[in-house]
Amino acid sequence: MEKGLRLENISKRYGTMTAVDSLTLTVPSGIVFGLLGPNGAGKTTTLEIIEGLRRPDEGHVWWNDMDVTRNPEHARSHFGMQLQTSAFFELLTVKETLELFHSLYRKRLSVGDLIERLDLTEKQNARVGGLSGGQQQRLALACALINDPEVVFLDEPSAGLDPQARRTLWDVILGLKSEGRTVVLTTHYMEEAEVLADRLAIIDHGHVLDEGTPRELIQRHMPAAVIELSRTVGVDASVDLPAVQRTENRDEMTILVSDHLENTLVGLVNWAQREGRELTGLTTRSATLEDVFLELTGRSLRE
Amino acid sequence: MNAIIVLTKSLLRQTVRNRQGLFWTLFFPLVLMFVFSFLGNSQSQVNLAIVAPSGPSAVVKALKRSPVFHIQRTNRHVALQEVQQGTMDAALFIPPVDPHHTTTLTLRYNNANAITAQQVVGSVEAFVAQADIALSGQPPLFQVSPQAMTHSHSSTYLDFLLPGILALMTMQNSLFGIGSGLTRWKEKGVLRRFQVTPVRPLQFLTATIINYVVVGLVSSGIIIGFATTILHATVLVPWVPLLIVLLLGMGCFLSIGFIVAGLSKSQEATIPIINLISFPMMFLSGVFFSVSSLPHILADIVQYFPLTYVANAMRGLMSGQLTAASAAFRNDIIGLLVWIVVTGAIASRTWRWE
Ligand SMILES: Nc1ncnc2c1ncn2[C@@H]1O[C@H](COP(=O)(O)OP(=O)(O)OP(=O)(O)O)[C@@H](O)[C@H]1O
Ligand SMILES: [Mg+2]
Repeated sequence: MEKGLRLENISKRYGTMTAVDSLTLTVPSGIVFGLLGPNGAGKTTTLEIIEGLRRPDEGHVWWNDMDVTRNPEHARSHFGMQLQTSAFFELLTVKETLELFHSLYRKRLSVGDLIERLDLTEKQNARVGGLSGGQQQRLALACALINDPEVVFLDEPSAGLDPQARRTLWDVILGLKSEGRTVVLTTHYMEEAEVLADRLAIIDHGHVLDEGTPRELIQRHMPAAVIELSRTVGVDASVDLPAVQRTENRDEMTILVSDHLENTLVGLVNWAQREGRELTGLTTRSATLEDVFLELTGRSLRE
Repeated sequence: MNAIIVLTKSLLRQTVRNRQGLFWTLFFPLVLMFVFSFLGNSQSQVNLAIVAPSGPSAVVKALKRSPVFHIQRTNRHVALQEVQQGTMDAALFIPPVDPHHTTTLTLRYNNANAITAQQVVGSVEAFVAQADIALSGQPPLFQVSPQAMTHSHSSTYLDFLLPGILALMTMQNSLFGIGSGLTRWKEKGVLRRFQVTPVRPLQFLTATIINYVVVGLVSSGIIIGFATTILHATVLVPWVPLLIVLLLGMGCFLSIGFIVAGLSKSQEATIPIINLISFPMMFLSGVFFSVSSLPHILADIVQYFPLTYVANAMRGLMSGQLTAASAAFRNDIIGLLVWIVVTGAIASRTWRWE
């Protein structure tokens, strides 16, 4: 039997609203797996079903050969979980909180090591209620790791972190992978997904739109190059340019998705000369996950 | 078991560090008792105006020696006026004593305040009966050993209030503890976080209950200590039956708290509901004044309130009118048990972890 997590046709409804819609997914052991999706896509619900926190209306979750849906307590002893919204006792200190969680498990990591690893040494005697959002986030991660888990679930672990803290977090997550743990995380940051995730699933309306390595996803959906230029130039869909798949406006920029970069560029330069326009802000790049995401969901990641 | 212990320890730590919470738990009861201890003190002595023929009198001498009475000798007219105005509790008219006949002492008292009037008549009668025996020179036929009664006969308002305050505190601690503490943890996701640990819901529940019980018992101890040592309340403290009443009271109010917290989603929604439940009981259930002074129809309903059972049982025990063996005490206990079973059953159905 293949090692890892398997979700088979998971569905979850809240009243008439379908949060997760027969979702099927495989997460191999030992990798960092990213769940990407706009707000309300069903990421948290999916995670909570895998963690055994919610019962799916239909479907099954397997971990190795363990039925998580039927036996959540047992599975959970191998899992570490950072919930999207969770809080701790406000009047306990960071260290006391970790010690409390520490004493609830048999198999566990040392409190001191975790404090050091998550850069909480300075704050270990501070009350939880007085921590900044980023510090609380790190405490939550420390608590998720206290039972030395084989699979770590992180629901938007970098929400509210400054760039510095985010990089520290990335190091921690990559460290977890190098120790042989599986990490499943959700994120709204493309860069984060690109840096961390070995495989990704893009989710919307409760099902998987596509799944694969970041490179696979880009090649499958965005084989083309992207030309960006200032919106003030006035290029739009009515301008006939060779090899252009799509023209769209994003913020201040006009974006041209091209099958053939050279042909489009030549066409663009000719058009500019003919019309007497200046090509302000012109850049070219290969497609990113952000473009894939937009292509698949029609929505920006953080709208 | 281990989970319960570590959770209880954390919860207690959390409670003790919540200075504001502790302050409000103890502040009001202490201030209330302090204020009322002044109000009540004058009642421990009977202010007695004496109208007697001039010259030394054995009766007057004996009255003066008694700690129960505060004596003022005056004339008939002034005495009656003072009783009428309430500056004196009663006036005692002592005619010249004729050793061959029974002398009738006339006691005029103001019955505007029924409790004081009863106390006055009782004290004077008791005194005269004793004096009669003493002055007659005969050995007494009967002798009363005034044991428990020393507590009950000269009770001050503080003595009345203390058990009421303890009952009230039991209710507030349990109801508001659950209502503001647990609902808040539920709302903020603390409970969810423990849901993904090996802690079972029942273990968390047990730890929560132990936490509130410890808080309730310690604060009751502080209140009793303060009232008896500093304010000199004269009450009985039969520990075991009192403990039973306190625990049953907490059980009942914790269950009610769980019902409310289970049904409402946020702390903001819980507090008004808890106020709605606790306010009527606070004023009607005999905390500050006796249920018997309510209109009959109301009293008939109020007697079944859980706080009424707690207050009645506590007051009975602390005044010495009830013991653990009394039928009335058993009724209060049974009443509380019925409440616990009913509210506990509802709470276990309505409770939601999220
Ligand atoms: N307890 C609940 N009751 C009713 N509806 C719910 C509940 N939890 C989630 N939903 C709904 O299910 C859908 C999926 O929610 P979910 O939290 O899984 O989204 P998400 O992808 O995690 O979003 P976000 O990026 O904002 O965290 C949403 O439309 C949400 O409103
Ligand atoms: Mg979410």
